Amino acid sequence: MPILELKKIVKKYRVGKEIITALDGVDLVVETGEFIAILGTSGCGKTTLLNIAAGLERPTRGDVIFRGVTISKLKEKKTVMFRRKQMGFIFQSYNLLPALTAQENVALPLIFDGIKPRERTLRAAKMLKQVGLMERRKHKPAEMSGGQQQRVSIARALINNPRIIFADEPTGNLDTRTTMDIMSHLQQAVKENGQTLVMVTHDQEVAAFADRIIYMVDGRIVQEKQGGIH
Amino acid sequence: MKNYDLLVLANKNLWRRKGRTVLTVLGVIIGTASIVVMLSLGIGLVESQKKQMEQWGSLNIIRVHQAWDFPGHEGGQQKRLTDEAIAEIRAIKGVTAISPAIEVGGEARFGRKIGHIMLVGLEPGLMEQLEFSVSDGRLLNQDDRFNVVAGSQVINNFWDPKQRHNPWEWEGPPQGDPLELLDQRLSLTLHNNKQQKRIYNLNVVGILSQKTMERAWEVYAPISELRKMRDFINQGRQDNSFQEKMYMDEKVIISPGRPTPARPAPKLEEQYSFALVRTDDVGDTRRISKELRDRSYNAYSMADNLEGIEEAARRFQAILGGIGAITLLVAAIGITNTMVMSIYERTREIAIMKVIGASFREIRWLFLAESSLIGLLGGSFGIGLSFLLSSVLNRYGASFMNPGGGMMPGSEAIQISMIPPWLVGFALLFSISIGLLSGIYPANRAIRLDPITAMRHG
Repeated sequence: MPILELKKIVKKYRVGKEIITALDGVDLVVETGEFIAILGTSGCGKTTLLNIAAGLERPTRGDVIFRGVTISKLKEKKTVMFRRKQMGFIFQSYNLLPALTAQENVALPLIFDGIKPRERTLRAAKMLKQVGLMERRKHKPAEMSGGQQQRVSIARALINNPRIIFADEPTGNLDTRTTMDIMSHLQQAVKENGQTLVMVTHDQEVAAFADRIIYMVDGRIVQEKQGGIH
Repeated sequence: MKNYDLLVLANKNLWRRKGRTVLTVLGVIIGTASIVVMLSLGIGLVESQKKQMEQWGSLNIIRVHQAWDFPGHEGGQQKRLTDEAIAEIRAIKGVTAISPAIEVGGEARFGRKIGHIMLVGLEPGLMEQLEFSVSDGRLLNQDDRFNVVAGSQVINNFWDPKQRHNPWEWEGPPQGDPLELLDQRLSLTLHNNKQQKRIYNLNVVGILSQKTMERAWEVYAPISELRKMRDFINQGRQDNSFQEKMYMDEKVIISPGRPTPARPAPKLEEQYSFALVRTDDVGDTRRISKELRDRSYNAYSMADNLEGIEEAARRFQAILGGIGAITLLVAAIGITNTMVMSIYERTREIAIMKVIGASFREIRWLFLAESSLIGLLGGSFGIGLSFLLSSVLNRYGASFMNPGGGMMPGSEAIQISMIPPWLVGFALLFSISIGLLSGIYPANRAIRLDPITAMRHG
């Protein structure tokens, strides 16, 4: 059973007087436990697709079905619960809260879930240990390198044990060595827990980590091929 | 999200911009303090007026006087103070005690000194309830017969006939020591219309404290003895014409030793000179006093005068409170401004929280909690500042407003600023609500923020 289904997704934006079509009838089925990379140049609509798949944006037309529920038709109140309990997010610019320490950042999704402080701290420490940042847990984001910040953000995305993880150019700001390091980390973590990963990237090499690669051009899926080189 | 976590997070956010938060809180401090101090001045005004009035008589006591008969106005309008009337008044709701009173005046001796005293007979067991209090000695009790309690100024009724004394010449305020009378004997001489004379030896067992000037010049005795005295005086009286009745007591004072020819007045025996009515609070006093007048009694209380004073104070307070409110309004705008600024700085952060699972409700309450915290902090420190200002005003302002501090004897220092507990509670609630209200607009902005654009450009 597919974990996520996109059906005839159309997304149009109004920019001034012009209407721009970001997505032009996208169909996509993501199977449970799959690692999918969406590859394309910037402006091809891949980030929009990711946002719509995650319920952050509403499609102009078409349906997003997550585990049998059409989340594109749900109210904000309901989609929030899906994001909180079943989804994890990783961004290009890490998006950590500057005021909080690494450990507090990792524990943040648990705060919204109403989990008690003791348990939050324990689980956050465990996640940081997995990404190898135990000794940095009291540091603020500004005191860490890009690679370290992204590892913190991976820990944050995984802490609520989500069924699906959305990653938007997770290595876009990192050098090659760190990129490989982060990607193998992510790949390993996801495979171990049987989680699904949907990643957007413009980097062929990064995409090569995926089981399946989707090519996008101008808001359409043009090609699909099997990955799994790494 | 748990409330505790929300507050911790809000508090953490607040102190990321220490300078700005401190300045915003300072605005609320000044706003709160100005409202509280302004209102405290109004409260102090009312209280000091009340205190001043209490020097002249208690606010919980109503005096009901005997009906006044004038020629051509045969007392048809006002009710007479008989036992029946006393019972009627006692039955009014809110009356906690009532004592009829009989006044008898007469020539008296105190050692070598002579003078006049006004003897007032009351129910001895009710004195405490009727707000009599002694500075020395004790009040009367049920067993007393010829024991009396003297007002603090009674000593000044006596003079030594051997010393040159001109009663018409003003020699400054009387200066006698009230304690001179304590445990001493006063001899009261009464005459009746049959040319008879009786001497009563009265033992002073207590001196009234000086609080109530109304009572300072009288001597209080058990009413049972006064009934007998009154009966004795009225022997031989033949008539209860207007003059006789009205000045029955005065006659004895004005012409001691010279009996006044009069005819018997049977009805007079059943009437009292006045009655003291005790209530529990000022509101009751005012209500009952009015009700008694409506029922055609000749009632009067100090509380009757309060209304005008309170009305003036209310206006005064409204003006002062208004000035304070404007200050707090400015502070509220300051909070809103701070919160809006904070949202601009934190758009990306708000977006992240939305993406990783914060609901609209949680985002809104995070901002409302931050603005309420500003209100709470400002309110608390503002109240602290108010107490400081209030004590400064009371210490230095009071002597400024009453140069020389020339007050009634025994009066306490007047507080020009008073902060009652309810005002503290009100100020705190008010400042928190101001914080909360100021946060509504920024919080709504925060939840409307689109996370995608915020993260792309933030």
